[in-house]
Amino acid sequence: MNSVDASEHYELGTTDLAPSLLTVIVDTNPHAWAALEGSLPLSRAIANILVFINAHLACNYANEVAVVASHSHKAAWLYPVEQASTENGSADHDGDVTMNGDSDGTAATTTQTNKYRPFRIVEEQVNRNLQALLQSTAATEVRGNTSTMLAGALTLALSHINRRTIAWAVEHGGADLEDTAAEVGTGAATTSGNRFSATGSDDERLQSRILIISVSGSSDSAHQYIPVMNSIFACQRLHIPIDVCKLSGDAVFLQQASDATRGVYMALAEPRGLLQYLMMAFLPDQRSRRHLVLPTRVDVDFRAACFCHRRVVDVGFVCSICLSIFCEPPPGNACLTCGTQLDPGDYGATPALLPRKKKKKKRVNGASATGTPISTPTPGP
Amino acid sequence: MADSDEEYVGEVTEDEDDFQVTHNDRTRSKRRRQRGGAEWELSRTWETLVEGADGTISSTVDGLLEAGKRKRLLKDTTPLQRGIIRHLILILDLSQSMSEKDLRPTRYLLTLRYAQDFVREFFEQNPISQLGVLGLRDGLAVRVSDMSGNPTEHLTAIQALRTQEPKGLPSLQNGLEMARGALFHTPSHGTREVLVVFGSLLSSDPGDIHQTISTLIGDRIRVGIVGLAAQVAICRDLCSRTNGGDETAYGVVLNEQHFRELMMDVTTPPATYSQRESASSLLMMGFPSRTVESSPSLCACHSKPSRGGYLCSRCGSKVCSLPAECPSCGLTLILSTHLARSYHHLFPLINWVEVPWRRASRSSACFACGLPFPPLPPEDQWQTAENQTKGMSASSRYECTACQNHFCIDCDLFAHEVVHNCPGCQSKNTGAGVPNDGMDITA
Repeated sequence: MNSVDASEHYELGTTDLAPSLLTVIVDTNPHAWAALEGSLPLSRAIANILVFINAHLACNYANEVAVVASHSHKAAWLYPVEQASTENGSADHDGDVTMNGDSDGTAATTTQTNKYRPFRIVEEQVNRNLQALLQSTAATEVRGNTSTMLAGALTLALSHINRRTIAWAVEHGGADLEDTAAEVGTGAATTSGNRFSATGSDDERLQSRILIISVSGSSDSAHQYIPVMNSIFACQRLHIPIDVCKLSGDAVFLQQASDATRGVYMALAEPRGLLQYLMMAFLPDQRSRRHLVLPTRVDVDFRAACFCHRRVVDVGFVCSICLSIFCEPPPGNACLTCGTQLDPGDYGATPALLPRKKKKKKRVNGASATGTPISTPTPGP
Repeated sequence: MADSDEEYVGEVTEDEDDFQVTHNDRTRSKRRRQRGGAEWELSRTWETLVEGADGTISSTVDGLLEAGKRKRLLKDTTPLQRGIIRHLILILDLSQSMSEKDLRPTRYLLTLRYAQDFVREFFEQNPISQLGVLGLRDGLAVRVSDMSGNPTEHLTAIQALRTQEPKGLPSLQNGLEMARGALFHTPSHGTREVLVVFGSLLSSDPGDIHQTISTLIGDRIRVGIVGLAAQVAICRDLCSRTNGGDETAYGVVLNEQHFRELMMDVTTPPATYSQRESASSLLMMGFPSRTVESSPSLCACHSKPSRGGYLCSRCGSKVCSLPAECPSCGLTLILSTHLARSYHHLFPLINWVEVPWRRASRSSACFACGLPFPPLPPEDQWQTAENQTKGMSASSRYECTACQNHFCIDCDLFAHEVVHNCPGCQSKNTGAGVPNDGMDITA
């Protein structure tokens, strides 16, 4: 943001702030977009997102962007795609950049000749790859499939961020990931001592963040729970905020994702205003966010769903071996996931009856019966 | 140190008569393995360097770097039953010998720094575990911080040690006895572990340490030791006896990096040896939701006024951070995310296999990050290229056996150590069935 402001311009030259990498994950489930057709068709949403991406690229000349589609049956890159990389400035084997980048664009180049080149490259690639993705989607794959491959998209995004962070560190010599591990931990305030963790000074490395445009519900993505959570923890470890812009549907994991990684979570009341929301809430990078009051959700649903009935519980039982959650002790006290015989402890034990009470009853029922120590001396048959 | 004496004799006999050589070799290699990280004595890294076709050694150096990454990465992915709920006491040597400067800046300061890293990483990996820190100073065991699940308490306690100086002699026995006392009441479903960072070569004990070791075995407490100076017989004995004959729990550091690795290895939950060792049980836990109040109220754990917090789902007391034990009713309060954090230990990602040139033509770039792979050399060079590279893939490709996608070494490392997901397997719906070659990157 600072680079837009002219007053900051000279200062920028001296400090040379690290650029930021924005990774946009677009949920492209056809069902969900069909449901949104009335208010915000996919084409307009993509146009809005592209404007937003351009705004991000304009903030700093070195800013980077990546776009991943989280489709109904697979996750795929929209930008950058290596196959068409001849035009996005990457060099061939000789280190030369090919200059005929315009030739293979499907868009009408005549109308776009005046467009800023980085904007045009992103737009063309995203449009072309998205079209290819949608055309390759068979009707059978879409049928009844309302979920999205969020875990895959997140993992792809993280791999790319990892690659770019390494590359950036190599280029700029400064914060090499291996070296920083030794430096981290000198101060008590630094957060994690991992090899991949952030440097103490955040400004010296590539700033990455992930924005998820979510439309479909994640209700039937229970099998994705562990992978999604793994990705979220990886983001948390690498200090990558996950911003969530929810257009429709019910995304349970995403609330936790943005909360755990200190990202922005917004559920749009009016999808037509997508661009406004994107520009106002999601454009500032980590550095600018320190000075802003961010729209965050305070009431995050942390309750767990039990593995046995999918009931949402606030007090549950956890297997000490596999950490499965149950809403009640499983039948036979055997864990439903790993089959271990579990000791339920004191739970469910009926209050111990006082033995005196029992004795009394027995004496009343069979007064002549033997066995009670008190009665032994009295009867003498 | 009877060990080194024997070895010296063995080498003499090896010179004398040839027929004993094989026998000696076997015993020596066995002994070397037991000594932990002493293999460096015989590795001559310069001998493996081979000049490339262009007269430089850059290709070999790159290969060595990659092999090093790969070596660090390859681990056993058998889904072992692991003790996820751990109770660990970290014992730090705070005696005079810690002021040595063979580890920079001093053993003492480096130990404190790594101890802090260890605490952070430990709770990262074992979010529902408990940790306590003790110190060995002046013949006594000092309590640095109590058993708790809150990393910040330990971190501040260790930070406070920086202002003090190491002093006196250590007493291993006192430390172990105090750790035993701290672990005594811990429930049987969790592990009981002690990690000692020991910089001295002696232990001045008030009684018989062997008796203490026997009681530790009786209490099922496992002891691991990181030695900073040299191997000490009693330490090895202690580790092997409390770990069921396994001596890998005792390591002596070679350098700063090795020290760190030895400490970080302990953060992985240990495999459970047998069913009877830890009685599995069903734990009752509360999953509270976060609340934000309009006016501040005192939390039950620290009696500090705060507006946010978590309400115990059984009794409604407010605690300020999770995981915690409800101070009033004793219910364990955690977030479901804390449980999820441990799942990758239980369902580890399978190791990826190296791809020979024969199968390498299928991909031209890494599936996950799009890094272009080196192009295929002519077929007659395949064999020589593969012989040159040990411990790494000749084609720089690594394949996930489940989804058959190819990845680069960095993504391999990243996927196994940080994300614990396979980008390929997660990107394809297994239900779709039809293998789709139209993936944008691999096509």
